[in-house]
Amino acid sequence: MFSPAVLGQVLINGISLSAIYILVSLGFTLLFGIMRVVNFAHGAMAMLGGYALYYIYGEANLPYLIAMPLAAASVAALALVLERLVYRWFYQKMFQSMIGLLGLDMALVYSAVIIWGPHERSIPSPIDTVYRLGPLFLSGSKLVVIGLAAVTLAAFYLFTHFTKYGLAMRAAAQDVETAEVQGINTDRIYMLAFFIAIFMAAMAGGFFAQNYILSPFMGERQLMMAFIAVILGGMGSIPGVALGGLILGMAESILGTYFGSTTSVFVTFGAVIVLLIVRPWGLLGIPENR
Amino acid sequence: MKTITADNMAASQKQPHKADEGSTRQLRIKLVLGLGLLAIFIILPFLGLSGFTLSLATTILITGIATTSLHMIIRMGHVSLAHGVFMGLGAYAAVLSVVKFGLPFPIAMIFAFLAPAALALVIGPMLLRLSGKYFVLVTFLLGEIIRLVFVNWQSFTGGSNGIFGIPLPYEGLADPVAFYYMTLIAALLCIGFVARMLQSDIGRIIDTIREDSRLAECAGIPVLRMKVTVFVIACGLAGIAGGISGFFIRYIDPTSFSIVQSLNFVVMNIVGGMFQLAGPIVGTLFFVILPEFLRGYVELQRVIFGVCLIVVMAFLPTGIVGLAAYIRHQLSRWFK
Repeated sequence: MFSPAVLGQVLINGISLSAIYILVSLGFTLLFGIMRVVNFAHGAMAMLGGYALYYIYGEANLPYLIAMPLAAASVAALALVLERLVYRWFYQKMFQSMIGLLGLDMALVYSAVIIWGPHERSIPSPIDTVYRLGPLFLSGSKLVVIGLAAVTLAAFYLFTHFTKYGLAMRAAAQDVETAEVQGINTDRIYMLAFFIAIFMAAMAGGFFAQNYILSPFMGERQLMMAFIAVILGGMGSIPGVALGGLILGMAESILGTYFGSTTSVFVTFGAVIVLLIVRPWGLLGIPENR
Repeated sequence: MKTITADNMAASQKQPHKADEGSTRQLRIKLVLGLGLLAIFIILPFLGLSGFTLSLATTILITGIATTSLHMIIRMGHVSLAHGVFMGLGAYAAVLSVVKFGLPFPIAMIFAFLAPAALALVIGPMLLRLSGKYFVLVTFLLGEIIRLVFVNWQSFTGGSNGIFGIPLPYEGLADPVAFYYMTLIAALLCIGFVARMLQSDIGRIIDTIREDSRLAECAGIPVLRMKVTVFVIACGLAGIAGGISGFFIRYIDPTSFSIVQSLNFVVMNIVGGMFQLAGPIVGTLFFVILPEFLRGYVELQRVIFGVCLIVVMAFLPTGIVGLAAYIRHQLSRWFK
């Protein structure tokens, strides 16, 4: 049971799961860090990403490498409309955003139920082949997830650290008012950050839908995992999210394989509750009331 | 960074937060409205309405107990997303003590109060230290964990199948009217208790804690102990609502006490108005009756709920209850 082959398999599953969680929670923490918005509708965005991929890749049969970014971008574009209609009322208002966006989540999820029905669908995998590497079986679709997620995360890192807009975004995340004083157009930065965040969430939703299941309610899990990853790492901390997502994905894969999924949920949730009580600012975060 | 909660909200919207100004008059109006509502509820069974209306009214009363108890927690500045689960805990405690242990109904109802209250007492001191957003997240996760316990403790809770065929507590309660009056009395006691508590010194303390907990501490209020006390009472009352609903529907399962239910209570509180006890009452009436007009469209209901939440949170922090004051305020601003 603990043979290297099984362990390796668990590791691969853990990494692909971690990749999805990091993508979702990175956007979540970005919105929180910059706009002080607790985006309860993040899971719904991931769900929309899944449906977008279903239509663009599964139905329209566009090549996968085009379909995937296109699906995510179209959801992000739609989300920009929501940004103008809903989100901008909640910027810098943490409490109101939490409850108001809970409402948005409800509205989106049940609109999806009305439009697409509650039943579950599946998206064909881009690569059906399974590669063998020594004792390990590497499924193609998982490798695609890991690869694309890695590319996206690298692009995100490069963007935030080596471009002017990225710098402006980080400045706004640190202190909005000071950033404004320095001549940064925060309104535009908000929209940019929003687009990137939702793009990543929708992409993660697509991956999740492809590897697991597509249904209007799939976002609930994404949202919960984003919460947990973000809490683990520390609200608003970007390296923290990477760590949190990795811990979470690995824990779920390892505990799920050896002890069953219920135990895995119990342990992760319990650990997070304990962490929140002892160290609410997370592993890599900074306490708020210094 | 601006911290959480209602104070900023009320302040930022420049809502008149008249605490004492004309409060006796306001109190009298509320009293008259409340008694009027009570009178309607008392004579309801004599109006020759269908059994359906009566069961709807019973549901309103049960939900009313749950939402008004949640109101106490929200008044302290904490939005709990585990209230539905605490209600479920009460339901399971009451039903199991009758079904498994053969205890009489009144004792079962005591357990319905005690079980969630005990859990609240254990976790309250830890949870209530957390500031707004962390509290929301922890209660969200906690709700999920307790739901998993309901689902997985098959031998005791019946797993996801739930417990059905729950016996009636008394033969006499087979009559829906009798059950309705029992629920009415329970609701009256619970909501009356909450109302009395909020009118007392404790109510002022609760408001003080929400507005500024550090200031409250400086004024000599044992903030955490106060919060835990209120939390324990609120969760216990939710348990009573759960116990009654278990014997009313005569079937309980984990899904009826999931996060969706907790969310409903939050929606009712916030859309109704979160700064006054009238808020959850209006919210309950609104959100239990409204879906009946949209019976065939369960999904549409949820969409409407969601949009209501967004609109209220963005533009009307005092909820439906504050609507009149809000309009008056806006008009006076325009026609100065």
